[in-house]
Amino acid sequence: MLQRVTGQLERYMDLLSARQKLVASNIANADTPGYQTQDIDFQAEFRSAAGGPPRVQATGGLPVKNDGNNVSLDREARLLSENALRFQLASQLMKGQIRQVRSAIQEGKG
Amino acid sequence: MSLFSALSVGASGMAAQRARAELLVENLANAETTRTPEGGPYRRKDAVFQSSPVESPFASIFSTELQATGGVAVADVITDSSAPERRYLPGHPDADADGYVAFPKINAAEDMVDLIGASRSYGANISAIAAIKDMIQRSIDLAR
Repeated sequence: MLQRVTGQLERYMDLLSARQKLVASNIANADTPGYQTQDIDFQAEFRSAAGGPPRVQATGGLPVKNDGNNVSLDREARLLSENALRFQLASQLMKGQIRQVRSAIQEGKG
Repeated sequence: MSLFSALSVGASGMAAQRARAELLVENLANAETTRTPEGGPYRRKDAVFQSSPVESPFASIFSTELQATGGVAVADVITDSSAPERRYLPGHPDADADGYVAFPKINAAEDMVDLIGASRSYGANISAIAAIKDMIQRSIDLAR
């Protein structure tokens, strides 16, 4: 039971860090001519059984500026805080799981 | 660990914006400069950004796995080649035979607006680094 939950949490946190890296990359390239916003399909990646690195794709539907750049700082700022908060939640849950194992070990000793 | 390379991405953004801000300040400072080592008046400079992979000790393995463009770098510094502004100042030591002096063609308002943009982008990169740092800290706290 523990394996299943922690495994899912691990995958979730992995995907969050990968996505956060892309958000950082988008913010760094906010003034790069011709740069296209990069993102991952979070839901699809999380559902897919195959692990490994997520597929990176360009995000469409964003307004393109005169220099061909389509980075929206508002969108990236939202994703930045969203990812950080989701990661915080996942790490709290993971901590709870670890605490359970630790208490099981402690009880077994006595 | 992908989060540590994300820190380098944020840092590359900060470095690029700082380089751009330096060029903009140089333009403002030299708005009235009529003499340069290359001869003639000062010419406006601007940075050209290009996305580039970030350098990290473990980057070689991870960058092949996750094909993200990553950070940003200043690819080139372009110098304005438009004709300088000519002002009639006969007493000036750099005046030509007709009494005209060539001054740099610099629009202070344009440079100030770009400078605000560079400053804001710099701040956005700092926010990104702060958020990633928080995530790394939470991962470390799991071991406690």
